Amino acid sequence: MSKLGAVVEAVEKREKFVLEQVQRARTDQQFAQQVMDRWNKIKSEIPVSKTPTGLPLPRLALPELDEAGEIARYLFGDGLPGEFPFLNGAYREMYLEPLRQAEVQDKKSGSPNGSNGKKNGARPPEEPTRLFSGLMLAEDTNKRFHFLSAHQRSKRLSTAFDGPTLYGIDSDADGVFGKIGEGGVAVDTVEDMVRLYDGFEIGSPDFSASMTISGPAPIIMAMYIAAAKRRFGPGVVANLRGTIQADIFKEVQAQNETIFPIEASLRFLLDMIEWTSQNMPRWYPVSISGYHIGEAGSTPVQQAAYTLSNGFAYVEMLMARGADVNVFGPRLSFFLDCGLDAEYIALSRVSRKIWAIGMREVFGADRRAQMFKLHTQTSGRSLIAAEFKNNLTRTAAELMLAYMNGTNSCHSNSADEPFTTPSEEWIRLAAHGQAILLEESGIFKHTMNMLTGSPGMKAVERAVETAILDEFREIESLGGVMGAVENRYQRSQIQNAAHRYEQQIYDGTRPIVGLNRYRNAAEEMPEIELARTSRAKQKLQVDRLMKFKKKNAGKAKGALDKLVKVVERGENCFPALLEAAEVCSLGQITGRLQEVVGHFRPMV
Amino acid sequence: MAAPIRVLTAVPICDGHDSAINTINLEFIRHGIEVVYLGFHRYVGDIVRAAIQEDVAAVGISSYNGGHIEFFAEVVKQLKRKGAGDIKVFGGGGGTITHDDAREMKQKGVDQIFFAGTSLAEMAKFVHDRYGKPRGKRVKPKSADQELAHRLTAIEDGFQDGKRRTSNAERSTSKSEKRHQTSNIKHQTSVIGFTGPGGAGKTTLIDELVLRFLNHNSRSRIAILSHDPSVIGEGALLGDRATMINSQDDRVFMRSMATRGQAGGLSPATESCLNLLAHSGFDYVIIETVGTGQEALPFRNQLVDQTILVMNPDYGARLQLQKIVMLDVADIVVVNKTDLERAKAALSEIEHRLTQNKRKQQIVATVAKRHRDRGVDELFELITSKTGGKS
Ligand code: B12
Repeated sequence: MSKLGAVVEAVEKREKFVLEQVQRARTDQQFAQQVMDRWNKIKSEIPVSKTPTGLPLPRLALPELDEAGEIARYLFGDGLPGEFPFLNGAYREMYLEPLRQAEVQDKKSGSPNGSNGKKNGARPPEEPTRLFSGLMLAEDTNKRFHFLSAHQRSKRLSTAFDGPTLYGIDSDADGVFGKIGEGGVAVDTVEDMVRLYDGFEIGSPDFSASMTISGPAPIIMAMYIAAAKRRFGPGVVANLRGTIQADIFKEVQAQNETIFPIEASLRFLLDMIEWTSQNMPRWYPVSISGYHIGEAGSTPVQQAAYTLSNGFAYVEMLMARGADVNVFGPRLSFFLDCGLDAEYIALSRVSRKIWAIGMREVFGADRRAQMFKLHTQTSGRSLIAAEFKNNLTRTAAELMLAYMNGTNSCHSNSADEPFTTPSEEWIRLAAHGQAILLEESGIFKHTMNMLTGSPGMKAVERAVETAILDEFREIESLGGVMGAVENRYQRSQIQNAAHRYEQQIYDGTRPIVGLNRYRNAAEEMPEIELARTSRAKQKLQVDRLMKFKKKNAGKAKGALDKLVKVVERGENCFPALLEAAEVCSLGQITGRLQEVVGHFRPMV
Repeated sequence: MAAPIRVLTAVPICDGHDSAINTINLEFIRHGIEVVYLGFHRYVGDIVRAAIQEDVAAVGISSYNGGHIEFFAEVVKQLKRKGAGDIKVFGGGGGTITHDDAREMKQKGVDQIFFAGTSLAEMAKFVHDRYGKPRGKRVKPKSADQELAHRLTAIEDGFQDGKRRTSNAERSTSKSEKRHQTSNIKHQTSVIGFTGPGGAGKTTLIDELVLRFLNHNSRSRIAILSHDPSVIGEGALLGDRATMINSQDDRVFMRSMATRGQAGGLSPATESCLNLLAHSGFDYVIIETVGTGQEALPFRNQLVDQTILVMNPDYGARLQLQKIVMLDVADIVVVNKTDLERAKAALSEIEHRLTQNKRKQQIVATVAKRHRDRGVDELFELITSKTGGKS
């Protein structure tokens, strides 16, 4: 049995505890006074800033409460942003434009540093916008990265790989030629990795790279480190910042990019997490993802429930290997979908709360390891081909929901999503969508939680929380995440939900503008600029790879033999992977590992 | 009523977008179609081999990760080259396949592309209208496998409501069946039957054995006849191929059958199909039933040379064992998934149950999902030693 049952109990116990605190504040004079004092102190410390029209607004909005019971319900049940159970946010401040010095001093009772602990004169907070991109060859994606980050203070790159790379196959493998550079960038070797981030200061605090890859993630991670070392020397490793997706459970459940048997995949993943959390303190070695589950067609509740339970399963496995929850815990991050269904009004909020309670009560994690750090992507599946410019509106609404939920970073899809890797025109608009919301509009920049806490949001929170706990009980009854996976539980639930979703579109019960409502019968296929990789480029990639293999043939053999030995001995294989990544191609490493541990047996 | 339409569906290499095809599979089944599903991340060669062996009317491909013009065209080309130009190719890929692409693909021999926004019912109707006509005179087969595949189709479609129907096609088949039998009489084929409850891991076990058969003798050929249940009043999802790794090989001939209304784990046409396979020059013919209940006795009339019952340690209370009839007749009982907690107890309970039979039955513990599992090695040796090490 897994610990998921204990998480359910802990959440229920917490609800009871909150009710008890409410009662106590209503009956125990002294406690009530404590609560009121704390509340007044919090209120008095909130800085106020002025909007361009001169309206004074608090940086943090609090409910208008003057009764100790209700205040206790808010403080214990929801928590302030940055406080347990983190319903309102992982951090105390997000999205806010920097306070001007004058304003801070205006406010006599407020400390000059504000209550966020940020020093005066500290760097402005980084932008939450991350645009996922990858196309053609490394140099083409590099150009796109420079285009996208030209105006950003901090360079936050998010990398999409092509099909062969995602499946750990080399570009010169039989039968994959047409797929090279499609849907993402082709990376076969450390040399491609060097090209990919050329011109960026990889080790600087203003740079972070995110890599969306999971099946061969440990190998790609090793290549990234090797590339960084080539450019900046070995000292750079400890400074590397970024995220690698690496979450293998959601591959088995939804995205279908598992390349080794589950147990072996998990072992390589945990080896990497252990190594990076000790040697790369600023790196996030796994992004526990619900996005793919949601996009594969699950309901929002299934998405949150499977993602959270996958996360708890990793924690259990890492602790079973003897890893310290307070060392690896803060390095876990999350990735959720945001679509237009009502659940998304509060899905991430509830997820943050359940994670925090589970981590604290069941796994004994400290504060930093309780925080659910979240990246959100707007829903690709909600974007459709018919009258595709409507996709701008859909994405805008989803962005609003994502930021209402206090996401820490966000990708907004381009309107040409149904057709192709975005062209510069549409990806630019997608980025601007976020800038308009966060910089132009006053919705988030003056008060970070401007839109939270409505009665409707509360209603969604309650309903979603109950439904997630029900899913947890179901998974627990199947023997926890691993047992449920082996029973195809998550897969079959997702497939049934996806089938229903499509049926609802075609029987009209799920309105889609331009498709089953307000359809324009005269619409013609729009002119779309397609990002397709030319045969010449595909050939160039193959040629480069073959040269690399020839040059390194001798060293590659030695490195692979060593890797195999380490794998067979059951030691942490990440250091050996680091060596292999210097001289071997991705496909060479994958192929050799598959000889030792076998291939993934597809689950359908 | 004509025999159900059989189509094969798959997702191309380096592509895991299976949400659309899963939905379409479910929808096709609801409309009475039998779908052989090959899964995602599949090579052209695997798709073409499967299409020919399964002798489907058409192949439906769902492609999202680009390169679709080349991929679809390559499937058409290889089908034609192998003499199977009568197997049509259709598919979709949402907005990633543009109208211009579709025109080009049609010129290259693709039957139809479905764009984003097409209703599910429309696609099922297309399959009925376009691929639902009874097969006319078949093209002349270009390979022994193709010929075999055509014969199996004739046999399977010769059964109607569980009874054999006499049509011209079928009469000529039974003649050729006999001819086949006499011409191959010298070749020793061993027929092995696998049965057991759903979820015991039969397909995985078979696929792992296939790997050992293939490695053991570099010339041997193996046939697999696998069964999946038909949904009452609907089609069937034949999904065993999708979970196989080692059986995607030219030396393996695999055929998936739906039970088409018959209870007990096999199809009305199984016996005749098996007969044909047993006399077609294979070294081993493996037959897999659908997941069966306790009282099932699927292999009658000396259908098989060896019977293997595959069990899961989670069969419930000890008493349940008394009710499993197959435990009396199986030659080998495999307890799979012995990495589960209950395995030890299960093994000793089953062993005890077998001693009551006073027959020479063997029991083997396996973890088929494990790479190079020793238990599977042991099972392989048992099987080959029983068949006199012919391979
Ligand atoms: C869902 C989705 C995902 C999910 C897939 C989950 C799953 N298990 O299927 C997730 C999030 C995991 C995913 C991942 C990726 N995706 Co994706 N994904 C999509 C998305 C949003 C929807 C596709 C979909 O399933 N639609 C639902 C189906 C039912 O409807 P439909 O597509 O309109 O299809 C209709 C018809 O065409 C027809 N049809 C389709 N197939 C078939 C087959 C047959 C036989 C028939 C008869 C009919 C038919 O039926 C449908 C009903 O009318 C599209 C963008 C979009 N909005 O379309 C991108 C998209 C396909 N993905 C894309 C990419 C690049 C990827 C990644 C490679 C990203 C990366 N680098 O990591 C990965 C690769 C994943 C993998 N393993 O291969 C690109 C492809 C770009 C290109 N070819 O140039 C797209 C277009 C998005 C984009 N613009 O970047 N993706």
